[in-house]
Amino acid sequence: MTPPSHLGSIGQLLIEAGRLSRQQVEAALQRQSGTVDTSLIGEILVQEGAISQWELLDFLFRQLTREREEYRNNPTFTPAIRFVDVEKVLDGRRVLKGVSLAIPKGKITAIIGVSGGGKSVTLKHMIGLMRPDRGEVWVGDRVLSGLSRKELVAVRSRFSMLFQGSALFDSLNVFDNVAFPLREMTRLPEADIRSRVEKALCQVNLDGMGDKFPDDLSGGMMKRTALARAMVTLPEIILLDEPTAGLDPIIENSIHHLICDTYMRSRYTMVVITHAVPEIFNWCHHAVVLHEGAILEAGPSLEVLHSKHPVIQQLINGALTGPIKVI
Amino acid sequence: MFSLVQRLGSAFLELLQFMGHMFLFLINILWCVVTPRYRPRNLLKQIHFIGVRSLFVIILTATFAGMVLALQGFYILSRFGSEGMVGPMVALAIIQELGPVLTALMVTGRAGSAMAGELGVMRIKEQVDALEVMGINPVNYLISPRLEASIISLPVLTAIFNVVGILGGYLVAVHLLGMSAGTYWGGIESKVGPRDIYISMIKSVSFGVLVAWVCTYMGYYANRGAEGVGRSITQAVVLSSVLVLVLDYFITALML
Repeated sequence: MTPPSHLGSIGQLLIEAGRLSRQQVEAALQRQSGTVDTSLIGEILVQEGAISQWELLDFLFRQLTREREEYRNNPTFTPAIRFVDVEKVLDGRRVLKGVSLAIPKGKITAIIGVSGGGKSVTLKHMIGLMRPDRGEVWVGDRVLSGLSRKELVAVRSRFSMLFQGSALFDSLNVFDNVAFPLREMTRLPEADIRSRVEKALCQVNLDGMGDKFPDDLSGGMMKRTALARAMVTLPEIILLDEPTAGLDPIIENSIHHLICDTYMRSRYTMVVITHAVPEIFNWCHHAVVLHEGAILEAGPSLEVLHSKHPVIQQLINGALTGPIKVI
Repeated sequence: MFSLVQRLGSAFLELLQFMGHMFLFLINILWCVVTPRYRPRNLLKQIHFIGVRSLFVIILTATFAGMVLALQGFYILSRFGSEGMVGPMVALAIIQELGPVLTALMVTGRAGSAMAGELGVMRIKEQVDALEVMGINPVNYLISPRLEASIISLPVLTAIFNVVGILGGYLVAVHLLGMSAGTYWGGIESKVGPRDIYISMIKSVSFGVLVAWVCTYMGYYANRGAEGVGRSITQAVVLSSVLVLVLDYFITALML
């Protein structure tokens, strides 16, 4: 029997997996004053000592691994975003050459490939920052290229994006950066904005850091702030453009755990562009390999990981010799 | 020969495309100025940046412009025995020409370059894209307040320039060169009319639009990293300054 929803998705997972009993979770929640936010149950359980932070992250990672294996055995999905024969020419170069792909709804998709292969351009097409020269980009049942600006804004409200350089506003502190989309695009009272921002900062382990400015933050903290800003609007789809670029391996691992944690909490559709290969194959359900503006392979990440395609093998192994000439 | 014609034609087409793009950008800004969402806090911030923080440099420039004009004017006019006309000469030159033009040039150098730089950095750091993704119109959020602030600030700064410049002229003409205060002020009173003030204000509003338009355009479309931002700042200052002088000629020709 599925545990009740007031225990939150993480509470439910922990009980179902037998890691904690329902009594343990409920006891931890009862010790909280006021209404309990179900998306913060993981933090509450850690705070109450029911489980350690590390155990929780490891548990979520193992859950994701199980889900990825299930997806490999049954790779059926509803597409959240579809590309149909998309072509794009930039500065006289064909960056996308008839790309057709589907992004599974409610799953983590990684788009990998060598630099200049068209990954960021693909991501910008998904959110309408670029329009295809030919072909169509579908988000749900809407074709982006046919939308007016107002309709595009409505479609974009379903998205959030974490930019490669975080794209935080230098003149605003962490709190105001995260609050920015809520203040600008909603009519929520300031008290509600404050509680949502504090919750988002708590989810990315930045509670108490709201008054810092972007200049005072490390690379990892900037990414976490950007992720909090992406989550605070409660989007359906989160696009992440190289979330671990320029970070050391430990911070990279923590960002991957954070992405997993965010996914497990809210089951967003997530699209990650990354060069963190082969690590990313541990963190995504679906993988798309883009090379020279064309799709080489797309499917469950565990299938793509074992692809025999020489370009993909070279990409995964990081070999200097192979079809991709680097020297 | 054919290749020269081809290159000239290509350059002309590029210029045409650039001008068309700039013009469409201006239409877009003006549309955003009259359509919601209005952000009074952003507008006040920009008025403070463009207007209040330019005040010192405007006062300094105006003082010395008025002083040198009185000094030069006195010695030139004394050759014709007309040194009594120093007051009106200083006042008219400042109100009709130097006030609006020098104010626009100073604002271009101080605030226009900063506008181009700030927007350029926002562009290359993907902050403009971030606004788009959030569903916020970047022109409405970033550019409109700057244009509005420039339109409001330039006439006020010009008026301050005019007053301070005339006072600078007074200091030199009366206290240094020994002219009587009555002659200085009396000449101004009899020769300067409301139409001169009107021309000054028309020019300053026009320059306000021009400076904000050119500088924000250059910053907003900056690319190719730090070098691109540096280039956009230079282009903003040079193009804006040149266009101020060109526009000044045409407005003067039209209004005299």
